[in-house]
Amino acid sequence: MSRIGVFVCHCGTNIGGIVNVPEVVEAAKAMPLVAYADENKYTCSEVGQGSIRDAIREQKLDRVVVAACSPRMHENTFRKTVATAGLNPYLLEIANLREHCSWVHSDSKKATAKAIDHVRMAVAKVARHESLFPKQVGLTKRALVIGGGITGIQAALDIASAGHEVVLVEKEPSVGGRMSQLDKTFPTLDCSACILTPKMVDVAQHPNITLLSYSEVKEVRGFVGNFEVDILKKAKMVDHKTCTGCGTCWQKCPEKVTSEFDLGLGQRTAIYIPFAQAVPNKPVIDMENCRYQKYLKWTQTEEGKKPPECRICEKLCPTKSIAWEQQEEIVTEKFGALVVATGFKTFDHSVYGEYGAGRYPDVISSLQLERLMSAAGPTEGEVLRPSDNTHPKNIVFIQCVGSRDDKVGRPYCSKVCCMYTAKHAIMLKEHDPEVQCYVFYIDIRAGGKDFEEFARRAQDESGAVYLRGRVSQIYQDGKTLKVLGEDSLIGRPVEIDADLVVLATGMEASEDADRLAQTLHISYNIYNFLIEAHPKLRPVETQTDGVFVAGAAVGPRDIPDCVAHGSAAAAKVIGLLSQDSLTTDPLTAIVAPMKCVGCFACKAVCPFNAIEEQTTRDGRIIASVNESLCKGCGLCVVACRPGAINLRGFTNQQLLSEVMTLVRR
Amino acid sequence: MGEDFTQQIRDKAKELLENGAVECVIGYETGSDGVSARPAFIYDAAEVDRLAFDNTCTHNLVKYLLDKKGKSTAVVVKGCDSRALNLLLSERQIQRDKVYVIGVVCPGVVEWGWNKRSEQLQKRCNWCRQHTPVVSDFAVGEPITEEPPAEFADVAEMATKTAEDRATFWRDQAERCIRCYACRQACPGCYCIDCFVELLDPEWVGIRIAPDENWMWNTIRAYHLGGRCISCNECERVCPVNIPLSLLNRKLEQEVLDLFDYKAGMSEDAPAPLITFKKDENLGIAE
Repeated sequence: MSRIGVFVCHCGTNIGGIVNVPEVVEAAKAMPLVAYADENKYTCSEVGQGSIRDAIREQKLDRVVVAACSPRMHENTFRKTVATAGLNPYLLEIANLREHCSWVHSDSKKATAKAIDHVRMAVAKVARHESLFPKQVGLTKRALVIGGGITGIQAALDIASAGHEVVLVEKEPSVGGRMSQLDKTFPTLDCSACILTPKMVDVAQHPNITLLSYSEVKEVRGFVGNFEVDILKKAKMVDHKTCTGCGTCWQKCPEKVTSEFDLGLGQRTAIYIPFAQAVPNKPVIDMENCRYQKYLKWTQTEEGKKPPECRICEKLCPTKSIAWEQQEEIVTEKFGALVVATGFKTFDHSVYGEYGAGRYPDVISSLQLERLMSAAGPTEGEVLRPSDNTHPKNIVFIQCVGSRDDKVGRPYCSKVCCMYTAKHAIMLKEHDPEVQCYVFYIDIRAGGKDFEEFARRAQDESGAVYLRGRVSQIYQDGKTLKVLGEDSLIGRPVEIDADLVVLATGMEASEDADRLAQTLHISYNIYNFLIEAHPKLRPVETQTDGVFVAGAAVGPRDIPDCVAHGSAAAAKVIGLLSQDSLTTDPLTAIVAPMKCVGCFACKAVCPFNAIEEQTTRDGRIIASVNESLCKGCGLCVVACRPGAINLRGFTNQQLLSEVMTLVRR
Repeated sequence: MGEDFTQQIRDKAKELLENGAVECVIGYETGSDGVSARPAFIYDAAEVDRLAFDNTCTHNLVKYLLDKKGKSTAVVVKGCDSRALNLLLSERQIQRDKVYVIGVVCPGVVEWGWNKRSEQLQKRCNWCRQHTPVVSDFAVGEPITEEPPAEFADVAEMATKTAEDRATFWRDQAERCIRCYACRQACPGCYCIDCFVELLDPEWVGIRIAPDENWMWNTIRAYHLGGRCISCNECERVCPVNIPLSLLNRKLEQEVLDLFDYKAGMSEDAPAPLITFKKDENLGIAE
């Protein structure tokens, strides 16, 4: 026979103010199998926990019910308490008298009756608890960082510097991400390339970092400490082992195409590095546009005009590094932890008809302006109108393009636009004192160290005119753009003749973020931004152990935030990889082999790929649970018609006895 | 139908048994009353003349494949029965390469009893849209094309009653249930080793034969078939106290059809909606 102890907590007046605690204690004493019941002002305090330990020893209790706050709050605390008194920590049940009772009721009498029912159910459940024991599994002390922007670079460098091997996967031919496209950074106006490039070089040179550029993560299997990842290495068509990055090929390649890096404002060649400071500073061949590839395609059909065979890069390469035979390949590597730092892309403003739907060449995005202002950009830092290469004088900025706008499905604030626009206004005035900037805004969000001062500087020192209101229409009138808007502070319409209009496009989750999240079994919101395990207390963890998130893949963030989160994720990875083995939670599903019919409905519903196939001695194929992967969500238990799966700690028997206790009281 | 179908089935069975393609042919033979059909298990090519097919061939023989796991077996199926094959294939209870399907186009089976046969079609045949088997390795008969009949007229009629009236109706039915579990035994979708109704720990349903427990049994069984019932209606046919189980099963079938545009057993690899998560699924619940 069990000897159950019940400990009812007042939680100061949180519970005791509504629930009549002494009455609950008396009722508990009369419940079957209850050997002892007592109350505490604060059960979680040292005194309270001491009273549980003493009672376990003195009353020879073998199971404990703590009637207090939510198990999310203190279940682990009390597990440790009963464990120090010699009980298995899982022979404990929490009755939630605070969140589920006192906090949500005002009628003391009814709340007390409900509290007694809660305790009654907990007693019935704990009577059927069994001792559970965690297991130890080994781990691979390597980390994978997905995404080579500033966040991923920071995370990779920090993990590598702690002595762990890191693989950094970047889908573009170079690391650097969005930050490498920026000219200056707010609010200090550091040159973006000057502070980023050294870190990019560090990544390439760090002995613990393997950089896989032009590669993508395809498939992830396994679990914390033991991930197996398929990485697709796209064909570069250049042997990077022998290539010295001398640049002859990309200087001589005759095929010019629009540069993605310069957002359509400049050109690159078919064999290319995306920008001058690229890391690795070795080219890849864009197979879509390569003349030799077009020639090869032509030879298959011989239709139309014969294109030139070209192969100029091959002829001129001093190290014979052009590798036409290269194929894309999938490599499988093992890791103990993963960091997802896939960043963001900017909103495509062509959905805004009132801003010209992308038709006017002189209506550009902020990121395009960054390229125009960058000394390494297509205009070598001279701000010229795309339409006629003249210097714009009147420049209109429109805030919140693809941010804070339900109409385009982007109700969130992109956080950085107010600040980068202030930066643009200041910088443009410095470039050309004749420039006059106008900024249409909803309100200015400048929360952050030195941010407000910076935003004021744009107005007070650089003379930018800030107009609170939205723009209703832009249309081309000869060489100028007519911008019709409203200054809602004075309630009057405004019309400005602009030479250039810059749209402060917001941040969006990067392409494919949802697919990657599904592969990793982590959550993402309706905008495809990844969801952290807890927005405040676990900002870089996810619901999948061993998978961490950082940077703008989680939501709009500025560079300092991204760097901080990159380092935070690295700290978590380092902590994980510093262990020699991992302890698994025993609250997992378990299959009764004799009952399992092998329909694998469990496998279909399992979000964690934890169901595996197993052949019994009599040749039946049945389900079994990989306890390292199982999170104890219980979906499989519900899907299992024969009831062959049970969830340890929440077995069908335990839950049914709770329910039956309630209905039969 | 009749003679011609019978001969085709016998010839095919003979061929399969003689060349060793299958160990057993599950089909129909005429029962000892000389009138009605009963299941036949033929292991020897010399006995194929026992096989027969007529409009009393009512049983869903797919059920018997569950006892022949891993053994090469041929089975005679009608249109309705054939959907059970896909159900069991998708739930990995049978292997496609172990089953040879003799699919018979069925215009409908009639009401019959011991030593008697009427010319009246069985109830299920009136709403049948699956005269032609959805899967067959050897087809017997020409596909029937006809205007698809209304499928859920009786279910819709039931839905017009008030909740109280429906509760009274089903309570009355539950009172008559004798918990013989014939419905379960005939159902191709019921193949658990331990059925929930017979478990003692946890005791989901009391073993007492009383309205509450009976009602619980029939309801949970219907739910276990939600999105899985292939509406062969064998459960209702074998019920000794004539509980209209199809009203329960087909109510769920209709719900699943409306919500997910899905009918169980129509294909081997269509994902079963109740165990498939789709991110953008709109069940009309959100708004």
